[in-house]
Amino acid sequence: MGKKELKVAFLLALRSLQRGGRSSVILTILIVGMCFTNMIFLPAMFNGIGQSITKQVVDYEVGNVLVSPQSGDQYVTDLGATLDLINGMPGVDRATPHYSKGATLKYRQRVLGVSVRAISPNDEKYVSPLYTKMIGGSYLGDGDTGEVIIGKPVAGDASIRQEDEFQPSLGGVRVGDSITIEYGNGYTKDYRVKGIYYTGWSQADSTVYVTWTDMEQVEGKPLDFADYITVKAKPGYSEKFIKDELQQYGVSQKVQTTSDLLSKSLGRALQSFAIINTVSLIVSIIITTVVLFIVITIKTLNSRKQIGILKAIGVDKEVIMHNYGFQVIILAVLGIILGIIIASMLAVYMAYHPIVTPEWSATLYITPMDLVINSLILFVAAIIAGYVPAWQVSREDIQTAMRA
Amino acid sequence: MIEIENLRKTYHMGTVEVKALDGVDLEIEKGEFLGIMGPSGSGKTTLLHMLGLLDLPTSGKIIIDGMDISLLTDYEKTMFRLYKLGYVFQDYALVPDLTVMENVSLPAMLRKDRTEDQYRNDTNDILQKIGLYDRRDHLPRELSGGQQQRVSLARAMVNKPDILFADEPCANLDTENSRIVLDLFREINESVHQTIVMVSHEDWHKDYFHRIVRLRDGKIVSDGINGSKAS
Ligand SMILES: Nc1ncnc2c1ncn2[C@@H]1O[C@H](COP(=O)(O)OP(=O)(O)OP(=O)(O)O)[C@@H](O)[C@H]1O
Ligand SMILES: [Mg+2]
Repeated sequence: MGKKELKVAFLLALRSLQRGGRSSVILTILIVGMCFTNMIFLPAMFNGIGQSITKQVVDYEVGNVLVSPQSGDQYVTDLGATLDLINGMPGVDRATPHYSKGATLKYRQRVLGVSVRAISPNDEKYVSPLYTKMIGGSYLGDGDTGEVIIGKPVAGDASIRQEDEFQPSLGGVRVGDSITIEYGNGYTKDYRVKGIYYTGWSQADSTVYVTWTDMEQVEGKPLDFADYITVKAKPGYSEKFIKDELQQYGVSQKVQTTSDLLSKSLGRALQSFAIINTVSLIVSIIITTVVLFIVITIKTLNSRKQIGILKAIGVDKEVIMHNYGFQVIILAVLGIILGIIIASMLAVYMAYHPIVTPEWSATLYITPMDLVINSLILFVAAIIAGYVPAWQVSREDIQTAMRA
Repeated sequence: MIEIENLRKTYHMGTVEVKALDGVDLEIEKGEFLGIMGPSGSGKTTLLHMLGLLDLPTSGKIIIDGMDISLLTDYEKTMFRLYKLGYVFQDYALVPDLTVMENVSLPAMLRKDRTEDQYRNDTNDILQKIGLYDRRDHLPRELSGGQQQRVSLARAMVNKPDILFADEPCANLDTENSRIVLDLFREINESVHQTIVMVSHEDWHKDYFHRIVRLRDGKIVSDGINGSKAS
């Protein structure tokens, strides 16, 4: 197979696509493009959901590394020293403690059970973007007392009647209002609502936050312990690095990375996603293969006589085979390009219009690697689908072909 | 140039045997314009396909230019057809998606001994000769039958074959177009001493042939210099 033969095969392929049956060419490209989109879309969707859940867990729950009590213990003790130790380690951006207490909120007629979480507002800024999510009023300051920030679902909406509410709320609290918090230990205090936030992560949105100082008043003693400590890594430092470092340099608590935590809870969901992904991948490959196989088979059957003539005038069977091979390659490449364009447009669209659920929000997550791998898979399937009938028809003897 | 010895071709149709060629001996000289005539079913096409390496004889020998063609492999036969033989078919058999120019240059493009410039020049020359140079960018379906057959002739001639075969090239043409095409064959035969083997069953075509071989039931019934040949 020399260069001249390939050139002739390519010319025949190109002309056949350009001048024979425009609509079938366009439809074939469309189908390949759609199959490609289908191969990309579901996995990207699930990836997007996974990524978004991970990001929200990092942002609002555990940071990059979570330091929690050893099993058997209730709290991370010796808090001040532990925080100093962690904050001093290379790669640690900031460590900040959380301490939560069950409580009942009261506002006018409404009563709502929530978890009140004490934070160190300034340190928390390094770990969580909560402070950027204020939709009314402002974020807590370190020295604040008697002030609380609450999530939008907790604040509620005065225009919605209580029985119509999606989830129970305080029925329309506004910034500056006073609410009463009655803690589990009986301590009761009125707080001014300093701000209302909305993160989209339901766990965070149904919590209310007070300062560490305030919580010390609730407990009636300095809080040198916490439920856990969340640790944010500096850019360029892996979670694993921080975890190993903490364990090595004497943090005697339980240390887990976000991935450690998520692999347990998300693991099962990801497994079901993987099954759905595989099914959608196989279906797409089969559709593409079958469609291209049919298209090329019909083409070859319709041109048997012409193939006979070409062979009669001295065109080698390899040229004839590659003619159809090139046709399928061109169709597949154009289809894949179309698919990449569609998938990219979907990704852009969804970046602006994410899927929002009460629990989380998600966009398409497509990496260049996904595009490359799926292109290759589809390309190989297309080549097989095209070359099988091309090979068969190119082997037919001249007499039989010319009589067709 | 061509020697045929005791050529036989038998087709089996179920239990029936059809002897399409039944012991044909023939010699064809270089530069001859040979007509193969005879009634329908007499074996004309079969003989031409044997000579043109498009089909295998049941028995007998074909020697072209001293080469026993039964010894060639499949690929060698393809190359033999590409380098040494030219064909014109009854129904033109042009590639519908290629322009006139592309159809004609196709066999030339495949030859290892032709540069791009050479095959472009050859194509242009032959298109000038058949008078369709100004239609070179048209598709076959945009041409009349006579014009398509001239393109088919140009495609057969572009590689300057040793032997040109034609199987009833005028069967689909009216008398006027037949004349134009046959005149072209004659001109090629006379100008470059081209060996031509043409099948025909139109009686008036015999005016063009130097020599006429008549077949009946797969046998040669007459073979002679054409005395009534014009010019
Ligand atoms: N592939 C085939 N299978 C069976 N029989 C065949 C085949 N090809 C040709 N024949 C038979 O061989 C005989 C000679 O056929 P051929 O085509 O050579 O005739 P022909 O002289 O060219 O006729 P026509 O003038 O009609 O073209 C006929 O009886 C035909 O039916
Ligand atoms: Mg015939």
